[in-house]
Parts: sequence; structure tokens; C-alpha cells
Amino acid sequence: MNTERKGKKRRGVEQVQARWGWYFVIPAIVFFSIFSFYPIINAFTLSFFKKNMISPIPPRFIGLENYIYVLQSSDFWNSVRATLTFTLGTFIPLVIASLVIALLITLQGRNFRLWQLLYYSPAVLSSAVAALIWMLIFTPTGIANQFVNTLRNTSGMDMRWLSSGEMVQISTMIVYFWKYIGYFTVLYITGITKIPAVIYEAATIDGASRSQAFFKITLPLLKPTTALVSIVAMLQCLKTFSTQFLFTQSGAPKAPINVITLNIYNTALKDYNVGRASVMSILLFVTMLILTIIQLKVSRSDDVTY
Amino acid sequence: MKKLLGLVLAVAALSAPLFANGSQDSAASAEKKPVTLTLWTHEDPNRQKMEEQFAAEYMAQNPHVTIKYSVFPSTKIQDLISSAYAAKNAPSIWNLELQKAYPLYTAGLVAPIPVQALGFKNEQALIDTYLPGMLDPVTDKDGKLFGKKGKIYGLPLEMVNFCIYLNKKIFRDAGLDPDKDYPKTWEDVMAVSEKIVKRNGDIITRRGFDFRYGDYLISWVPMVEQLGGKVVSDDGKEAIVNTQAWIKALQFMQDWGPNGKNLGGPTYPVARKVFDNNKDEIAMHLSGLYQEARMKTSNPDFYNSKDWMVIPYPVFKGGKDIANTYYFQYYMVNSQIPENEQVEAWKFVAYMLSHGDMYLEKVALTQPTKKVFEGEVFKSMPYSNVFYNDLKRAHVVYHSSFSWRVNELIKEAIENVMMNKVAPADAVAKLKKDVQALVDENR
Repeated sequence: MNTERKGKKRRGVEQVQARWGWYFVIPAIVFFSIFSFYPIINAFTLSFFKKNMISPIPPRFIGLENYIYVLQSSDFWNSVRATLTFTLGTFIPLVIASLVIALLITLQGRNFRLWQLLYYSPAVLSSAVAALIWMLIFTPTGIANQFVNTLRNTSGMDMRWLSSGEMVQISTMIVYFWKYIGYFTVLYITGITKIPAVIYEAATIDGASRSQAFFKITLPLLKPTTALVSIVAMLQCLKTFSTQFLFTQSGAPKAPINVITLNIYNTALKDYNVGRASVMSILLFVTMLILTIIQLKVSRSDDVTY
Repeated sequence: MKKLLGLVLAVAALSAPLFANGSQDSAASAEKKPVTLTLWTHEDPNRQKMEEQFAAEYMAQNPHVTIKYSVFPSTKIQDLISSAYAAKNAPSIWNLELQKAYPLYTAGLVAPIPVQALGFKNEQALIDTYLPGMLDPVTDKDGKLFGKKGKIYGLPLEMVNFCIYLNKKIFRDAGLDPDKDYPKTWEDVMAVSEKIVKRNGDIITRRGFDFRYGDYLISWVPMVEQLGGKVVSDDGKEAIVNTQAWIKALQFMQDWGPNGKNLGGPTYPVARKVFDNNKDEIAMHLSGLYQEARMKTSNPDFYNSKDWMVIPYPVFKGGKDIANTYYFQYYMVNSQIPENEQVEAWKFVAYMLSHGDMYLEKVALTQPTKKVFEGEVFKSMPYSNVFYNDLKRAHVVYHSSFSWRVNELIKEAIENVMMNKVAPADAVAKLKKDVQALVDENR
């Protein structure tokens, strides 16, 4: 009787907690429904219609025509190439470099907070401001050329940071790397400081060297952090827009850095073709979803417990 | 009963005028009901100050009108206006260059001018106040567009054609006589620039001339036309007419750029801005008469000196005598706002534009009205005759429902030959394919 009453009471408390849980979650659900789910569903619907963005004429259903057009378009495949080049060229160095910098900062000990602050500061700038700063740096008479000339002991060598098809891709990667390296470093620092010191002490007693401690303890135990950093970094890279947009507005050639998001923007706002822009949005969304699921599965296959 | 009926009728008859007056009063008050107009325009600090003053004056004269004046960067305003229309939240009044405004106009998003409300007998009376053809691009002449024959949909804030501004001091410094050696042909432009250019290794520190990268329909397509090319054929069926002309013009750009003679390029600072600084950075650039006001504001000493002049738009050797195309910034009114607001918006636009001489004097914007062009202010402006004479051998910029997209495709072709080492013939082949697709899709 007493146990039954206790059980009922517990269930009652759980129900109240669950109800409060819903109250807290509802604003987020409403927010995401309006600003994420609705646009996704709307874009999916529009991808089957011929719709001029500014025309008052109602959209006309055209089935898979937009998908066929986009998938046969060389411009779209150039955008896929540009996005993949940028993502691979930025995301891999970002993950590796942020881990290395995080280790150096945590090992250093002194001025720990100052280094964190220094590395993190570019992340608080808006992407547009970051791109504007770097555009000045990359102009032919800017600091980037002066820096390279000083390093190589040359004079007047133009690296053509913005005016060469190859270099402009590297330039966009540099901007992104500079902007986000601090953010991911902070994430890694958090992961490293969460690893209990006793594990390292035990390893030291067992005679493990520093490199052994890193490869056998730090790296495996940082797996959840690495998964988080790599997913976030990859998604950020796939969604890159501001740097490429501002660079092309300022004279840089569009084709080499015409990433999918920039193509979507121009298709919708310059061509007014909302249907085709929606197709590209949906394809990008599906790609991001699949890559995230794969990464999550890979990272969950060997969870870390202390 | 009959008496009562008679009394009612009499009272009704007597009170009818009262009700009629009442309804007139209410109509008058309806006309005067509060109206809020939003105006979006591109940044131009001198003009902004003046137009905000016009708005204040208009609101003082018409207390029921509130005008919200907003300024946006010229690179963003086109996208903002399109997005606002898509969201059915576009401003009451806006202005864009013709080739950017035309797609919005043909989509039926612009209200016709209520000419009578502006004090004109009819559309022709309004047209007669302008130079010939100046309202043609925004007039539904035969009613084919919207079924309203002869209606006009825009009033020009300015009409612009580009000529070349030249720094005499730099010419002399390079051993050239600006009055004799100024370039008359594009071949001269390249030759003179080779004499003027200064480099530190590969990096240009002084340019002879540089283009207006971005505004290709306005400033570069005339070069193609001089060689016999056209954006779209007269019957509207063929895109990129006379590919040889396009190839030759693109070859010129490739020779000009960093992979050619390295005389300039799109990633160097904007030519017209550094020219005004007069710091030995560039000798020539393309711009309109309005540049004089900007020069006067940013560097009055240089403006007041005799160290600069304006020369006509060059022509390729043996090419057709075609000058830079002219384009307009049209003020337009949103057709999605209520009709009474449309009328009020047009009245305010007409009020602003009635100050043609002020626009010319203070910001060097030339309204293509007979009054402005025949006025003393225009004639007294330095080198206004050069701009006026070039106008006689120019035509209006290419405009269509997809004109801005064409500009973007030309931009891509020029960037590819100048910076990505793409062969001009290959760039033209791609350009033709892409523009033809647009032509076919929009026919």
C-alpha cells in the first residue's frame, strides 16, 4: 500500500517535471518551427514550382523540371566543386590547428585566459566585417603582399590574392580559418580540461611518455569534442557565404568561389528564380543532414566514459 | 398622412444639400487622411541632405503626409528592393538604374504617373518638358505591357553618360601633352596607359586608365557595339550578336588585365575614388558629370585647379562612332500601395524633381529636362559640353526584363578572361549560350 502510494507520488513528480520540461522546450520549438522548419517545407514545395520572386503571377507547378535543370547545369556543379574545395580546405586545417593550439595553450598554463581571449576575438566580429578587413589586406598594395615580399626577401611580387582563380580560393579559406580558429580552440580547451588529471598521473607512474599520453589518453578521450568540432566546422564551411559574397562584390572573380549559398542568393535575387534557388537549398540541406548523421554515427560507435 | 409625407419630403429635399456637403467634406477629409510614404534610395550624402530638406518642406506644406527617407549602399539597394517586393513590403518610392529597375517595371510593380494630379493636361504635356526620348524606356507606348496606352511609369532623377576624366599633371609627368596626346581611340588608351603606368615589380602604383568594373552594360558594351556587336538582335531572338566583335573586345580586356600588359584590374581600388584624391595614383577614369560634385566635396583644391579635364568616350580604330550609353536613375512609385498613397507619392517625387537646377548645382545630377539642359547652370559647369556632345552619338543602355542578369553574365566573361586566363573565344561561347537561354526563356 505504502509502496504503491510512493510509486504514484513519484509518477506525479515525474509528470510535473515532464510538463515543466515541455513549457521550457515549447518556445524553442515554436522558434524553430517558424524560422527553420517552415522555410524548409516552403522551399521544398517551391522547388516544384516555376516562381518569379518579384512577379505577382502565382507559381506554376512544373514537377521535377527545376531539379532536372539544376542537376544538368554546369554552374551548379561548379558551385558543388567550389563548396567542396572550400570545405575540405578549411574544415580539416581548422580541426587540426584548433586542437594543436588548444594543447599549446593548456600546456603553457600561464596567461591561459589571455591566449584564449586573443584567439577567440575574431569570432566576435561579423563575417562581413572580417571579409572587409581582409579585402584591404589582400589588395595588391595591401599588407598581405608586403608580408610575403618581406618573408621571401623580394620586392613588388603580387601574389594576386583576389585576382587569380586559385589564390582567391585560398584567400577565402584564410579569412574563415582566421575567424573561426579561436572558437574551435575554446571548444577543445574545454574538452581537454575536462579530462581527469588522475588518468595522466596514473600514466606517468606507469612510465608513459608525453607523446604516448597524448595519443593514448588525450586524443581518444577528446573524441566527443572532436566530433562536435568537426560537425560544427563542416556545417559552417558548407554554409559559407559572406566572404565569397563580399569578395565578388569587390572585383574578385566569381566562378572559382561561387559556393552553393552564393549561387542560391544570386539565383533568387538576381535571376528572381525562386524555384531553382529552392532546389539548390534543398540539395544542400539534404547533403548537410546526411553528413551530420554519418559523423554522429561514427562518433557514437565508441563513446567515451571516464 | 399626406401632410406628413409632404413634410418628410420637404425636410429631405432641404437637407439633401446638407448631406451632399457632408459627403464632400468627408471626401475632402478622406483625401487628407494621414499618409506615410517610405522612400528608399542609394547613398549620396550631398543629395541626401538636399532631399531630406525637400521632404521636410513637403511635410510642412502637407501636414497629413509623413515621409520616411532611408539610404542604402548602392551595391545592396537592388537586392533590398526586390526582396521587399517579394515580401509585399516594398517602399512607396524608390530609385534604381534603368537596367536594374526595368525587371520590376515589366513585372507590373510600378504605378503609373497621375499626370493631371501633377498639373499636366496629359502624358504628352509631361513628355514635352523632357528632351526627346527620355521617358521612352518607362512609357507603355502601345499599351502592350499593361494595357494602359501612353502611361508613364517613372521620372528621371538623373540621366548619366560617362566620359573620361583626365589628370593633366600626371600626363605632363609622363612626358605627354594632355591637350594633344589625350586618347581618342581605345588603342590610344592602352598606348598612353603604358607610358603612364608605374609599378613596383608586378604591383601597379600608378595607373594610366582603368575601367568601371561592374557597370558593364553601361560602360563596356558600347566598346562591343563600336566593333559591330550587340547584346540582343533587334528582333529579340538572337543573343550576343557578332561574336567576333565580342571576342575582340574581350581580347582587349585580357590584354589590359594582370595576365596581359598589367595596366589595371578589378581588384585595384575603384578608379574614380582614387582619381579625386589626386595623389598620383591614376591619370584617367570613366564617370558621369555627377563626379564633379563628388570631386568638389572630397578634394576642393583639385576641383578648383586647372589640373583636370574631361575628354570624350574613345572609339576603336575603324569602329562605329558610338559613345558611352546613357542610363537613368528613375524615381518610381510602388503599385502595391493604396491608390491615394500612389498619388501622394508621385506628387512628392514631382516636388523634389521640380528643383532641377538645385540638383545640378549642388550634386551635379542632370535631369534630362529641357529647362535643365538649356539653363545657365548646366552650361556653366566645367566640361558639360563634352558630356552633351557625347550624348549626341550615344543611345540608351540595354534594358530588358533580364538586363541585370545579362550584366552579371558579361561580368563573369570579363573576369574569366582577365583573371582566370580563359580564352576570349571560349568566354564568348559560354556567354552566348547563357544569354541565349535567358532570351529563349523570356520570349
